[in-house]
Amino acid sequence: MDRRKFLGVAGLTAAGAGVFLAGGCGGNSNTLKIVSSLPRTGSAQGQTDTIVNGIRLAMDEYNNELFGHKLVHQDMDDATAAQGQWDAGKEADNAREAISDKNVMVFIGPYNSGAAKQSMPILSEAGLLQISPAATWPGLTKVVPGDEKSGEPGIYRKSDKLTFCRVCPTDNVQGPKTAEFVARVLNAKTVFVLDDKELYGSGIAKLFMEACRTKEIGIKILGHEQLVKQNNYKATLQKIAQLKPDAIYFGGTSQSGGPQIAIDMKGENLTCPLIVPDGCYEKAFIEGAGADLFKDVTCYATIGGKDPSLLTTGAGAEFVKKYKEKFNKDPEAYAVYGYEAAKVFLEAAKAVGRKDREAIRDAVIKTKDFDKGALGKWSFDADGDTTLQELTISKIENGKFKPVKSL
Amino acid sequence: MSAGRVWVPALFAALAVYPFLPIAEANRGEQFTILFVYAILALGLNVVLGYTGLLHLGIAAFFGIGAYTVGVLTVPFFPFQQSFLVAAAVATTVSAAVGIATTAPILRLRGDYFALVTLGFGLITLYAIRNLDAITEGTKGLNPIEAGPLPGVPENVDLSGLRVNGEWGTRWYKYPYLYFLVLGTLGAVMLLLRNVERSRLGRAWVALREDELAASCMGLNPARLKLAAVALGAGLAGLAGAFYALALRTTGNPQAYDFTLSMIMVCCVILGGLGNRSGVLIGVLLLMGFDRIATNLLDNFIQERFDFGGKAYLKVSGWKLIIFGVVLIVMMRFRPEGLLPEARHQRELHPEADEGEDRVPEPGDTGQKAGS
Amino acid sequence: MLELFAQSDGAGGFGQYLLLGLVLGSLYALIALGYTMVYGIIELINFAHGDLFMLGAFLALQLADLWFKQVTGDTTGVLPVAALLVLMFVLTPLFCAGLNMGADRAFYKPLRNSPKLTVIVTAIGVSFIFMNLGLFWRGATPVKFPDLIPDTNLIPGSGLRVTWKDVMVVGVTVPVMLALTVFVKFTALGKAMRATAQNPTAAKLMGINADRVIAATFAIGGALAGVASVVYGLYIKSVDYQMGFQNGLYAFTAAVLGGIGNIPGAVLGGLVIGVVGELGKAYLGAKWSEALIFAILIVILLFRPTGLLGARTREKV
Repeated sequence: MDRRKFLGVAGLTAAGAGVFLAGGCGGNSNTLKIVSSLPRTGSAQGQTDTIVNGIRLAMDEYNNELFGHKLVHQDMDDATAAQGQWDAGKEADNAREAISDKNVMVFIGPYNSGAAKQSMPILSEAGLLQISPAATWPGLTKVVPGDEKSGEPGIYRKSDKLTFCRVCPTDNVQGPKTAEFVARVLNAKTVFVLDDKELYGSGIAKLFMEACRTKEIGIKILGHEQLVKQNNYKATLQKIAQLKPDAIYFGGTSQSGGPQIAIDMKGENLTCPLIVPDGCYEKAFIEGAGADLFKDVTCYATIGGKDPSLLTTGAGAEFVKKYKEKFNKDPEAYAVYGYEAAKVFLEAAKAVGRKDREAIRDAVIKTKDFDKGALGKWSFDADGDTTLQELTISKIENGKFKPVKSL
Repeated sequence: MSAGRVWVPALFAALAVYPFLPIAEANRGEQFTILFVYAILALGLNVVLGYTGLLHLGIAAFFGIGAYTVGVLTVPFFPFQQSFLVAAAVATTVSAAVGIATTAPILRLRGDYFALVTLGFGLITLYAIRNLDAITEGTKGLNPIEAGPLPGVPENVDLSGLRVNGEWGTRWYKYPYLYFLVLGTLGAVMLLLRNVERSRLGRAWVALREDELAASCMGLNPARLKLAAVALGAGLAGLAGAFYALALRTTGNPQAYDFTLSMIMVCCVILGGLGNRSGVLIGVLLLMGFDRIATNLLDNFIQERFDFGGKAYLKVSGWKLIIFGVVLIVMMRFRPEGLLPEARHQRELHPEADEGEDRVPEPGDTGQKAGS
Repeated sequence: MLELFAQSDGAGGFGQYLLLGLVLGSLYALIALGYTMVYGIIELINFAHGDLFMLGAFLALQLADLWFKQVTGDTTGVLPVAALLVLMFVLTPLFCAGLNMGADRAFYKPLRNSPKLTVIVTAIGVSFIFMNLGLFWRGATPVKFPDLIPDTNLIPGSGLRVTWKDVMVVGVTVPVMLALTVFVKFTALGKAMRATAQNPTAAKLMGINADRVIAATFAIGGALAGVASVVYGLYIKSVDYQMGFQNGLYAFTAAVLGGIGNIPGAVLGGLVIGVVGELGKAYLGAKWSEALIFAILIVILLFRPTGLLGARTREKV
């Protein structure tokens, strides 16, 4: 027994030493690192795969080399097995890991706005550039009316320099413009609002409802219910069916119940259109509900910026073509943002021409009239948000998002 | 128990020296800080599960209560603005009180019924945290939690001269304040538990765990003893939660306090050695360290050399659950008493080594002692 | 909340929610039966049961994919769909039974004399492995389960909505439960199971082969999970690798609520949870329905500490 005990302790010591040492070894100084921190295990993996593909594609265009330095992409995971989704501690770890590695020039991520609240102050303090391809909560960059008490966005800005920017339009564009579409194009007078109780989903649902209540739009909100992921939503939809709304809005993602709502709408014979935001704007949403289902359920999905199928000219078309060649499938909406985030960084770094965190950061934040990416010409505004505040609304038909309107 | 006498102080000494070594990184240090927090949580669970044998499946709820109490008392969103010391004390007290209040009515439940009710309590707490937006900000989390220094402990002592290799770099500034604070607390908790174990109370708990009927015949009050254990355990879990919120500077996502955490904590305690503080410490460092640090390092290491295109089954993190599962199964099969067993449990699990005992194993005799 | 109550409780409102609850509840009951049988015999809270159920659903999905791709392209014809359903209801329970028995043989059997906690932690380990396998099998996003049973309302105009799917759920679960009750009550193996559950030593002395009885119990519990997974897939129409965790938790709750180890108790517990959950969704709001389920569970256990139908056994000393 004593021998076993000794072996056990010895093993532990060795393992511990391994962890200590592995932490100590640094990378090659001749490399330039792009770090991405996204939930790579758990249910969001589908979309984050496409973001990573986008980043890889952008790097390929430079033959993975920039002014004599080897370009390296480090694919960090901000989810843990224990939680199956993003984890606050893990995201903070990733941010710290990134700042302590001198080769890291940019932190692409995170995917979830909740996670952004973790990494933003850390990266801000260290002055490392952060570009998010998917976090759309407006409070990360500006004061949200009615939410001043939270201290956003000041609480994330630990230094006087701006370090956070994002290539995706924020929810305060998406919410109101969706309301406009529902009122003008769908001619809906009443709507029932659902959300998934997550930061993103309930945030966008709230912004949508606020827009509905304004005089210009004037949609009556019959009710608002927060759904937490459940086996099915039949009871809730039965309740909604009796109110006979002209449309149902769901603020949430394909992981937090989007496809199931569509499935149960068919099951409970609800015929009004379903409107979902960009968290559902992905193939996984259509596949999760089954493409055939959308013959019976009318569903509109909105996304800030452009659907990849609209990228028919210039660099956009080129991107779609190259993506198809490399990954053998059509790019999804988030792939474009992954690509755009990497691209705006790479272009700025190339212009700076040296390995200098501060200089590259300032160059990226000051980006104006950027047109080397797939999305056309855009700039970062004073808060670090993209000026590309367009919204595409697509109808799901034949297993595809078919753009019907741009606002 | 004697093995821990040598290496536990050695481990603590090594961890205390670590920040001054040339290999030390602020990042790794902060990851260790979170591990220390989980260690405090596991030690709290160990009081309930290891000392008294109550299968509590809701320890994460106390962790959450602690974190949110600190959140409410410190964030600018609320008018309280207390210092961390006050907030942590309140968090510990509140958790302990909730522990007593929720356990007292269910003490008469046996074994698995008790386990299920604590599980239910954990989930209800989680749902309450998530749904009571007015207090907890729902899924947004309460932030920022900017901790004030402990009174009398200056935050700006310059210790960087002691470091072998110059500066720590970002976030640790002149010395790793929080790292030492949490490590010190963990050490204090270990000492406290050592003394409790040896006290009348500790011995009474063991007596109760081994044979409740006999213990009560000897004049011990089982209900009061169990409540004392739950109060201490829940209080420690609340304290851990307070440090968790402090280390992250936010309460984070409510999901961080769900049933999965309780379950993993039970695994940590049993893997390390039920009832043995040093073992529990090792259990946490191994399981949580693997989940939070080792997989990342391995994945980065692999990624730097090969490009697998991010396929789940080509990454260590994709195999995480399987590795967890296999480790648990193999351990339970060949070393059920844990890595560092408590002497008494060891004897229970290896009756053949005990000549004096005439215990004949029977199929289906599932051993009432540990569960009920 | 209150105005929603008034608005929604129109014609058939309450009845509809009750119906939804009973249907979902019988599904939970089916999963809970597997839990309760295994518990009854070796007092193991089988945390892996939910994930076994998940793997069963994935197998059924795989069968459907193969059937429609390799055998017939006809996804609407009555005959091919019926044939597929038979295939699913035969192969999935067999698969789950085999898997559960295999897990018992490999992982739990060597631990028969160990304390409860050792076995529970092993079960948690098995659950992790199953979950990871599910992740590799179908990925992380929810997958559509083919819609094989029509949603047409069978009694239109009555204010109630009863579809073929509801009929299917009840039509599968009730006979399965009845068959199980008859089996446990009247067959030799069933009697051996009850004997082993009550007193393993005495049962052994009476010549009952405990190992075989336990293996059979795992097989039957696994088969029930398999049946439940097919019913779940057909009724909910979407499956994902994390579904085992949530449903396993419900099933565990149902089993304990009814009195763990008690077969009618598991059924009753499942129905209570289903009904409470659906009524909660309808009248209290979806975000509180789970909290309500567990709150009711705690209240019931406070008054009946051994569950609704659990026997008040004297504690073994």
